[in-house]
Amino acid sequence: MTQTTAKTKTKTKAKAKRSVTINPGMICQPIGAMQAVLGVHGAISLVHGSQGCAAYPMRMFNRHFQEPVEIALSSLGEDAAVFGGADNLVKGVHALVARRQPELIAVLTTCLSETIGDDVDGILRKIDLPSTLVPMHTPSYIGSHVTGYDNAVKALVTHLAEQTGPNSKINIAVGLLNPGDIRELKGMLAAMRVKAIILTDISETLDAPLILPRPRFPDGGTTLAEIADTANSIGSIALCKHAGGSAVKYLAGKHKVPMITGACPIGVANTDRFLENVSHLSGRPIPDELRKDRGRLIDAMIDVHFKIAQKRVAIHADPDVASGMARFVHELGMEPMIIATGTESKEFVADVEAVASQTGHEIEIISGCDLYELHEAVKAVGVDLVMGNSQATYIGGDEKVAFARIGFPVYDRVGYQRRAIIGYGGGINLVDRITNAILDHADSA
Amino acid sequence: MPLTLLECDIPIPEREKHTYIKKSGENIVPLANVQTTPGDLTERGCTYAGTMGVVGGPVKDVIHLIHGPIGCAYYTWGGGRRQNLSDNPEFHRKYCFSTSMQEPNVIFGGEKKLYNAILEAYERFPAVNGVFVYATCVIGLIGDDINTVCKNAAKEIGVPVIPFSCEGFRGVSQSLGHHIANDGIFDRIVGTKEPDKVTPYDINIIGDYNIQGDLWIIEPLFEAMGLRILCTFTGNASINDLAVAHRAKLNVMHCQRSTPYICELMEEKYELPYIPVSLFGIAQTSKALRDVAAFFGFEDRAEEVIEEEVSKILPEIEYYKEQLRGKRVFIYQGAPRAWHWIKLMEELGMEVIGAATTFGHTDDYEKIIERIGDGAIVIDNPNSVELREILLGYKPDLFISGLKEKFLAYKLGVPFINGHSYERGPYAVYSGFLKFAKDIHTTINHPAWKLIEGRA
Repeated sequence: MTQTTAKTKTKTKAKAKRSVTINPGMICQPIGAMQAVLGVHGAISLVHGSQGCAAYPMRMFNRHFQEPVEIALSSLGEDAAVFGGADNLVKGVHALVARRQPELIAVLTTCLSETIGDDVDGILRKIDLPSTLVPMHTPSYIGSHVTGYDNAVKALVTHLAEQTGPNSKINIAVGLLNPGDIRELKGMLAAMRVKAIILTDISETLDAPLILPRPRFPDGGTTLAEIADTANSIGSIALCKHAGGSAVKYLAGKHKVPMITGACPIGVANTDRFLENVSHLSGRPIPDELRKDRGRLIDAMIDVHFKIAQKRVAIHADPDVASGMARFVHELGMEPMIIATGTESKEFVADVEAVASQTGHEIEIISGCDLYELHEAVKAVGVDLVMGNSQATYIGGDEKVAFARIGFPVYDRVGYQRRAIIGYGGGINLVDRITNAILDHADSA
Repeated sequence: MPLTLLECDIPIPEREKHTYIKKSGENIVPLANVQTTPGDLTERGCTYAGTMGVVGGPVKDVIHLIHGPIGCAYYTWGGGRRQNLSDNPEFHRKYCFSTSMQEPNVIFGGEKKLYNAILEAYERFPAVNGVFVYATCVIGLIGDDINTVCKNAAKEIGVPVIPFSCEGFRGVSQSLGHHIANDGIFDRIVGTKEPDKVTPYDINIIGDYNIQGDLWIIEPLFEAMGLRILCTFTGNASINDLAVAHRAKLNVMHCQRSTPYICELMEEKYELPYIPVSLFGIAQTSKALRDVAAFFGFEDRAEEVIEEEVSKILPEIEYYKEQLRGKRVFIYQGAPRAWHWIKLMEELGMEVIGAATTFGHTDDYEKIIERIGDGAIVIDNPNSVELREILLGYKPDLFISGLKEKFLAYKLGVPFINGHSYERGPYAVYSGFLKFAKDIHTTINHPAWKLIEGRA
């Protein structure tokens, strides 16, 4: 595995590079792309690969979101591995259109189809069907699920965005967040009376009501017309620069849509900045309602400050969530000791270094970090609280310290997909989550 | 009625060969174990899933090292308290090992990375008794010689390093992966050690993966009859148990899709006979105990065990039978449970109105069709569109399937049980049967179903 380790203000520890990854901190590209596609109304991912590349991600989504998920497959077997998968892909697209009539089919490549060398773009160009076909290159041996999400959103705007006339909307590329986050985001935008195009919107598609009869496709999701319209927006913001940032850059380059990239709006300062950016792009003021939400978050922070101040924290999450959390735990009066992400990224290191230099904390930053590495760092540094996904919970258990869940997947407790971590409301949720984790741990000790 | 075409399959007429409405006297079996139709919204897993996820993964004291890009390893990591339990939770399923192949490794080959990864993993976890190496899709394409790497690494670290070439594209489903795992374990592990002691009453339980602790309620029944369990293949197994398995006197084969291979190989090489059993429900479990007891001449002990166990659960089972009588069930399982459970449902007074498997072969479907009633639908490798049509059209009172279908059922307002990893199991033998019945009763009668807007 590749790792970048930086320790701000102190020596940078030279770490031996391991060939073995132990308890990975990232997944591969296709699942990230699938999550992006699941936020598009009437869209289905068709994986150009073997059976597991569809079945395994489905299971992961099921466990985290507690929702049904459909993923189609071109079903590559031994013949395709030898002779190429073009026939399977053509047949697969036709069958999927005939059976489901999706508005969009995202064709996701895998390590298998990329290594075979199928010309997916060329094959799809020759197909004439009522569904929009979008190739997405997501080889599993490059990057991570974060890269896959980023590539997918970029592929969507590259294929669909079209200049037709100004629309007075803001594009917001969300990143790998939860339905609860998108609802929080929509709440903030509604309060500001700002119209937005959410790239992509899983708030209903992956949190659908149980009402019969069930629609053919889940309600909600970003429509193809909205994606087309992103070229005409007054600006774009990517909440997570690593997951959605490329799409926003593409729109800025190709369609001259002004873009602002800031930190993921986690905590007070980051949310302040986000709202200022929205205000700047839209010309709309930040209303009292949001000022009150901000006040409620700060009220919650002050209420608990003796319970959590000076606690030493280790966080493992996707890059933008982890760097956003670094600043927020500082605001909470806690000590961000280790900020780690599974996806290798220099930008992530720079983002956390900026937090460290602005706040004066000494932070061990680990990019490209598996959980074994995280665990070793936790043992060496000593912390009071570990934050990560369900796979990381054992570190809290082994080290007998508090653990608070964040990120994807969370499957061993319920409700995390419904609760925001972004915005002032999300900040309140995090204050509660972190404080209760510390109190629960103290009670059980 | 002959083979049938569901309405949703009209654009894909080849699905007709996989779909049969049972009629007595006919000699028809749906087409099985063939490549999934491209474009399908399949529920199937890959060859690697069969080798690592099902058969290899439960072995509790080896490093399971996945040689491929990171996703393959990530997806088989964990499972928590719900599946493949072992008595080594401080290591087993807690740690996940991968070579996390990156683009340069794909271009220049991954043999060196694999070799180093084996050594590094072993260095960190020296208490393990072996290493299982699983090659996934891309490895088969670039042609890494994993056999030689594993041989060299084994020499270096001094414990067995077992290669499995289980690339996802090799087979049509998990099924080939089971076979690959069976062959690898038989060729390279079974017979490599001798047990500390042998008795005339040693058996292996083959093809049980200790889902939610199934084995821990199965084993005591055989032990109560005076038998000794030498090896469980592979639930809660040590690689050392597998190594001495050839010295048992009888193989008791539970999963008859994932393990007939090794039973046949052991019979051929070691003259070790096997008996297929169903360890679900009263009738089948009792028959299994009687069959195994008869092999050892322990018929009387079997009757004692059966009487005691049945008397413990019968009053409650009678209650559930009364409550569940006439309820209609659709069962979709990997393969054998689809037919194991037809009789079990009948024991609860329920009717099986449909059965399907993900990776069943013709013989699985023959057993299903032999057991299921006229008019029931039997479908091979169904996809989410077909499942929706069946659930809406046949309106079963209960759907038993796996996680990938669970939320589809819920969203259609259909009571559901996860038959793969269970709800509040384990579900095997007598005490598990009672839990199964209770779970069925719980979901069918849950008050929240009645609150759903639009549910008839």
